Amino acid sequence: MTRLSSLIAALSTCLIAAPLASASDLTVTVEGIAKQQGSIMLGLFDEASYEGDGAVDGANLTVEGDSVTVTFEGLEPGEYAVRLYHDVNDDGEMNTNPFGMPTEPYAFSNDAKGRFGPAKWDDAKFSVEAEGTAHTITMN
Amino acid sequence: MDLSRRHFLEAGCGVGLAGSLGACVSASPIPAAPGMPDWHLGYRSAPAGGFDPAPMTLAFGKVPADLKGSLYRNGPAQMQYGDEYASHWFDGDGLIHRIAIEDGRAVHQARFADTKKRREEQAAGKFLAPGFGTLGDESFSVEGPDDVNAANTSVLVVNGELLALWEAGSAFAMDAATLETRGPKTWRDDLKGMPFLAHPKVEPDGRVWNLAVGGERVGIYRIAKSGQLEDFGMVNIGRAAYIHDWTMTDRHLIILVQPWVNENLRPPVVAGFEWQPEHGLQMLIVDKDDFSNQRWAQAPARMFFHTGSAWEESDGTIKFDVVLYKRPILGVGGGAAEIRGEWNAAAGDEHGVLTQVVIPPKGDASLVESAIVGGEFPQVHPQYRGQQRHLTVLTTGVAANRPGTTAITMHDWASGDRATFDFGATRMVEEFLFVPKSGGSSEADAWLIGTVLNLKAGTSEVCVFDAAHVSDGPVCIWQADYSWPLGFHGTWA
Repeated sequence: MTRLSSLIAALSTCLIAAPLASASDLTVTVEGIAKQQGSIMLGLFDEASYEGDGAVDGANLTVEGDSVTVTFEGLEPGEYAVRLYHDVNDDGEMNTNPFGMPTEPYAFSNDAKGRFGPAKWDDAKFSVEAEGTAHTITMN
Repeated sequence: MDLSRRHFLEAGCGVGLAGSLGACVSASPIPAAPGMPDWHLGYRSAPAGGFDPAPMTLAFGKVPADLKGSLYRNGPAQMQYGDEYASHWFDGDGLIHRIAIEDGRAVHQARFADTKKRREEQAAGKFLAPGFGTLGDESFSVEGPDDVNAANTSVLVVNGELLALWEAGSAFAMDAATLETRGPKTWRDDLKGMPFLAHPKVEPDGRVWNLAVGGERVGIYRIAKSGQLEDFGMVNIGRAAYIHDWTMTDRHLIILVQPWVNENLRPPVVAGFEWQPEHGLQMLIVDKDDFSNQRWAQAPARMFFHTGSAWEESDGTIKFDVVLYKRPILGVGGGAAEIRGEWNAAAGDEHGVLTQVVIPPKGDASLVESAIVGGEFPQVHPQYRGQQRHLTVLTTGVAANRPGTTAITMHDWASGDRATFDFGATRMVEEFLFVPKSGGSSEADAWLIGTVLNLKAGTSEVCVFDAAHVSDGPVCIWQADYSWPLGFHGTWA
């Protein structure tokens, strides 16, 4: 009985711990923020969600210096991409000019650039490894 | 014109009057590039670093004592990387010139506008950016219009700030003295990246009006003499017509919606144009005090690049002058072949006609054609912009076998008279600007200043005419020790 209980307890622990054992942390640092005000609105995507509206995870990061950092915990190792904009006036929206061009700074992981549109998945994707990953994006 | 002036001009290097002034330049003529016609000199790349300030030589005549200021000009000047030619003249990087004139002396300098396109192409040593006539390289990122901004079309000085203008992106701010680039101009935070057309209109009191063109939606800028944006509004012109220029009276803006339409502004832009003459040439007339107060006028189908200026008569009739073409003059090789030293005769057989458009208070507009065929770059006296006037100067003298013009003509709309000075086949003549004479009281009280490429001497020249006596020829000519490529538009400040 005791042995069985121990086994169940051990299995339970394993079951609970299993996702953690294969889950990873991703630390994203955003550097080169020009205006020390507002928020960095950051979305983390996998390939399936990159072109759509939903994100795997996200963060709103208050800007107090020229960089911000966020850590996403418990991610499945694999390929991800980040899209972000600097909500300089903190109105919760990515502001655009009358022709629809962004007037607030934005960036993609890998510092990828678009060509007549957002950066492509293949240019923005990066790997989150099992042992954890740090990724830096530089605004310009 | 007296014989000595003609002799000087034909000789290319001064004798006669110029010789007697001891002002002849001993520039060694630049031979045409191998296999190239002489006029190709106007389409050769400028040095990557531009031109450091260098005095020009007074090669002819006497400089007007009251002529003081700077002639700024802009034009494409990177036409080649190695063996590769630019796909289109309009896509060459903008080289911004300053010819500073004071105490009878002229000093020329020039710098390329420091754009993303310029930086990345210089680093790679090849053309990369998409553009008006260029597909571009897939590796070149384009996140907005300013990433492909060539800053190569015109210049404007507002409250001492020099702006290099393109038509599909921001103006680029530059130092008016050193010509160093400061960067894209943002008139207001919410207008960042909005286009700023290369043909702003400056009222006699210094207020600037301009358009931002994006398909059928057009923005209107009103900028105080101080450089502060006073107002910005949007209007809809109904279709994605090509708009290079427009015009205005003292009370109204007139947006010419020509039936040359491009619904797909993807590179190369020139490939997307469609001639739709069934629409005619429509004109949206917008009240300067209330952009929602609009009316339309209609004229027969015409294509155009450049207007002179407009005015309004007491009964509300609007009149303006414009060089009109019966069909588009791009899309048949114009602007691409010249860079390679080729001249497409088909591109040269359609000539614009200097025309006065008369828009009555009600009903269709009528076109009153002048006898000037083959002219371009019409200019008027700056103090008469938006006001009733009668003088227009433009470049004239086209030839069937080569690009460019060899003459300037002053047209008088009131009398129908015209005065022309033709420099002859050894010169390529560029836009001439009115510079009001000190103490002048009429439209004709002005100097005309412009640049001329001397193919015989291989030098660029700055010429000054008396607006009242154009057919007498230049009153003075400064000659550089070198040449620079042909450009588009300039301003006097």
